[in-house]
Amino acid sequence: MNTTNAFQRPTQSQRVGYCTRVFLALAVSSWTLALQAQQVPVIEKTLSNGMKLLMVQRKDEPNVAGGWVAHVGASNERPGITGTAHLFEHMMFKGTTTIGTKDPNEDGAIISQQENIRDEMRAEEAKLRQAYRRGDISDLTSPENMTPRWIELKKQFDELVARQRALMVKNEFDLVYKRAGGTEMNAFTSEDMTAYFVNVPANKLELWMWMESERLFHPVFREFYSERDVVFEERRMRTDSTPLGKFAEEFSSLFWQSTPYHWPVVGWPSDIPAISKKDADDFFAIYYAPQNLTAILVGDFDPTHAGQLAEKYFGRIPQGKQAPPDVITMEVKQEAEKRMNAEAETNPQVDILWHTAPFGHKDSYALDVLAQLLSDRTGRLYKGLVLGSQIATDVSAGQDARKWAGCFEVCGDVKDGHTPAELENGLYAELDKLKIAEVPPEELQKVKNNFAAHEFRRLSANRPILMHLIWNEGEGNWREINEAGKKIQAVTAADVKRVASLYLTKENRSVATYMRKASESASEQKDQATKEQK
Amino acid sequence: MKKQNAFSIAQYIAILAVGIAGFNGTFAFAQEIPNRPEQLQFPPLKYEPPNPANYRVELKSGPVAYLVPDHELPLVNIHILVRTGDYLEPDNKAGLAGMTGHLLARGGTKSKTAEQMEERLAFLAANLDSSVGATSGDLNLNLLSKDLDEGLSILREVLAEPRFQDDKIALTKEQELQGIRQRNDESSAIEVRERGFLAFGEKFWANHHSTQQSIEGITRADLEAFHHAWFHPANFVVAVSGDFDRDQMLQKLETLFGKWPFQGGVPPAIPTNTEFAKPGVYIVNKEVNQGRVAMMLPGVKRDDPDYFPVAIMNDILGGGGFISHIMARVRSDEGLAYSAGSSFQGGVYYPLTFTAAFQSKSRTVPYAISIVMEEIKKMTETPVTEAELSTAKRSFIDSFPRVFATKSQIASRFADDEFTGRYTKTPDYWKNYRANIENVTDQDVLRVARRFLHPDQLAILIVGQKDEIMKGHPDHNVTLTSVQPNGVTELPLRDPLTMKPMVTKGKE
Repeated sequence: MNTTNAFQRPTQSQRVGYCTRVFLALAVSSWTLALQAQQVPVIEKTLSNGMKLLMVQRKDEPNVAGGWVAHVGASNERPGITGTAHLFEHMMFKGTTTIGTKDPNEDGAIISQQENIRDEMRAEEAKLRQAYRRGDISDLTSPENMTPRWIELKKQFDELVARQRALMVKNEFDLVYKRAGGTEMNAFTSEDMTAYFVNVPANKLELWMWMESERLFHPVFREFYSERDVVFEERRMRTDSTPLGKFAEEFSSLFWQSTPYHWPVVGWPSDIPAISKKDADDFFAIYYAPQNLTAILVGDFDPTHAGQLAEKYFGRIPQGKQAPPDVITMEVKQEAEKRMNAEAETNPQVDILWHTAPFGHKDSYALDVLAQLLSDRTGRLYKGLVLGSQIATDVSAGQDARKWAGCFEVCGDVKDGHTPAELENGLYAELDKLKIAEVPPEELQKVKNNFAAHEFRRLSANRPILMHLIWNEGEGNWREINEAGKKIQAVTAADVKRVASLYLTKENRSVATYMRKASESASEQKDQATKEQK
Repeated sequence: MKKQNAFSIAQYIAILAVGIAGFNGTFAFAQEIPNRPEQLQFPPLKYEPPNPANYRVELKSGPVAYLVPDHELPLVNIHILVRTGDYLEPDNKAGLAGMTGHLLARGGTKSKTAEQMEERLAFLAANLDSSVGATSGDLNLNLLSKDLDEGLSILREVLAEPRFQDDKIALTKEQELQGIRQRNDESSAIEVRERGFLAFGEKFWANHHSTQQSIEGITRADLEAFHHAWFHPANFVVAVSGDFDRDQMLQKLETLFGKWPFQGGVPPAIPTNTEFAKPGVYIVNKEVNQGRVAMMLPGVKRDDPDYFPVAIMNDILGGGGFISHIMARVRSDEGLAYSAGSSFQGGVYYPLTFTAAFQSKSRTVPYAISIVMEEIKKMTETPVTEAELSTAKRSFIDSFPRVFATKSQIASRFADDEFTGRYTKTPDYWKNYRANIENVTDQDVLRVARRFLHPDQLAILIVGQKDEIMKGHPDHNVTLTSVQPNGVTELPLRDPLTMKPMVTKGKE
């Protein structure tokens, strides 16, 4: 009955499994028509400390969708601290020096004591890892495997948590927004960006300025370790306990060899519990400096006034001392086809990835068009393989242009009675047609019409406009929201043929095939055998 | 009528403009940035919800329509609600309603094959979707306003003269069966399904799931009969928003729904014979390292006189995000779950449930259950604080304009109220909404907590690794049997093709 979602999943993150993600990507990037492209009237400002501000005034409802994007994601991590960008996203809701505690001084003192104990616990955890490597224990997370010293330290730590909790104003950051009529507060982390957003009533714009600038200027990462556990539960929920989560993670890691897209956004299981508050503090100092942030407002406000408020609130945050380091490692050229043959709790299916072009690359527009030619119920793959040869029950395609590199994906569900190999060959056959002959004008126009219509559909409300700006800015350039449409309309049949031939080659692809795992009882017996071995 | 409507929209915009102008005028930039947000001052936000009567039209051709013109973008959005649903399926035809809904927009029409129709719609970049769910059918058409007439003529054929092309029937069945085979793959899917059985009983119509046999047995004649029975203008409610002239649109809608080629029936009332499970713990064994838990109690209908206090009570207990009691303890304090909370939706036709839910690693499932039980119990023992009550109320009241955030939301919200009878019964529902929230007292919250929250009546469903979950965690002296003395019942997985319980293996 209210706009509050009962099972709100507030802070969170990460792109999901590959096939699912393609649908998400299509939802934000497929569309349009030969009408005049609709421009999003964005006002851009740079604050005195280098922070960027984008504003779109829209008087449809008495509300403002406000957000900001930090130009940091999992691709700015390194082995050992994977999952930090995402953990950070969670920590940014924990409050400030004045939000979240009744006694900031005592709160700070307890946090230091907690860190001292955690240092000792980390030393014990290093011993556990060593015991695991030697084969003395088989599970790093089982409570029975913890050392006596660790258990004793944990007890001391928990006492400090209890003391801190007595001073805390629980989840006060959320409380303030909620009381003010804020809605849909959330955040996400991807490989390339971390973004935070909320809708506030139009008269509460200054509250947004206060809250968002305070959590950047005076953040306190309290409850760091229980939040780490929350993130581990998030990993269990999304990756471990879903039929394809673990496989999608493995396939992605197989595909991305050298770029920092090699590890999952949520982090490797060994890294999440090992991230220290110091790792987090260092990360914040570099990547959450104002020159690495872009604030975005869409809705009912006066831009001049909002600009002045932004300078007053965000402008007071000192510029970072250190420029964030560039991501240097490029994806190495793939020299041979890679394959993963999985057995999972799923219908048989096929998922194929090719290395293509990153966000803003001149070929990315033709690749978007190519993906759309293959997609939907009137697209090539559905007509050829679902309706035509009838070896699939569903198919999809998408171009995922990320900041540092891009990939093209095609996938399909195998119809009962057929095999993944048949479908895989069927998919190649459809792609080969596009490499040999230019797509007919009518078909190309259909796709362009859909891109053009989307130029309007994306403008239906404040929040989707905000999310589009966040995405484009996070991937590298908000202006693409107005420029990509024109570039897509300019794509020719020859361009499509060229990019299909250039990128969709055998040696450039990675293939995952899935077969249904044998029956439950067989797998249970196997599990039982594994347990006895341990 | 038209003028009145236009006036009210203009007035609405003017009110907003005044509110914002006032805000700009009174702010002084020289002020220091305060230490706490309470020290900031905000002008009041004046807002009145749109009045449904200003948009409502009873079409001569049968349906009631809500028209909300809006020329910001060259798009038109048409949403048709249909009085039909899964509950009308014959006993051995589970899946028929959904398949009829799916194929309306995908199976061609009298004058066009499915391929011709889809190709044309795709060229126009028009989105047309159709579906039939539990208690309604839905058709949605979103297209560029320049293509309105062509789109409406296609929509007319889809509604009145669908073809149900044989090859599309075969394909839909194949796709349905693909879905059916995956029924036990996701632990979340198992949870949702078993929640339904525990909350409403094996015999309730909403638990008549399709099977391989029922899907295979559906014929074109079945689809045509189902369509003819219910897809008739008298059973439609219509929401239209976007770039159109109101008078012209009225004419177009009369043409769209006029001279219907067949007579439909009046659907019978939706059966309400639900049966709630015996209290206890129910577990479905599944090899995943995180247990999914749903803790349920019998719920309310949305027109229950206590519904507003129930909404506030649930918001404080588990519906209100991070600051709700369940989230604060299970997630923030203990780090036991990523997602945790409760829902207490009011049913339109029959009472739904109170459901608290979370997902936690196997070993901490019993402990997290005990925490949620404690929080449920506390709600029935002590009144909520004045601050909590005020926060919940402010949240409902100050976020209220979001109910009507876009023109298509206005049209669809009112059409839904018309469809579900709320408009007839309480036409001032939205007008009085904020006052009804404001009137809720701490004693009301305590009273409804005591009325509905009976911890000893909980039906607790767990999907996860049974053996690990039964072990509990060494740090917490809690097991499944200690939290719920009625014992643990293992629910067998159901065969995905037949939905019959599978024989459990003679393990242990």
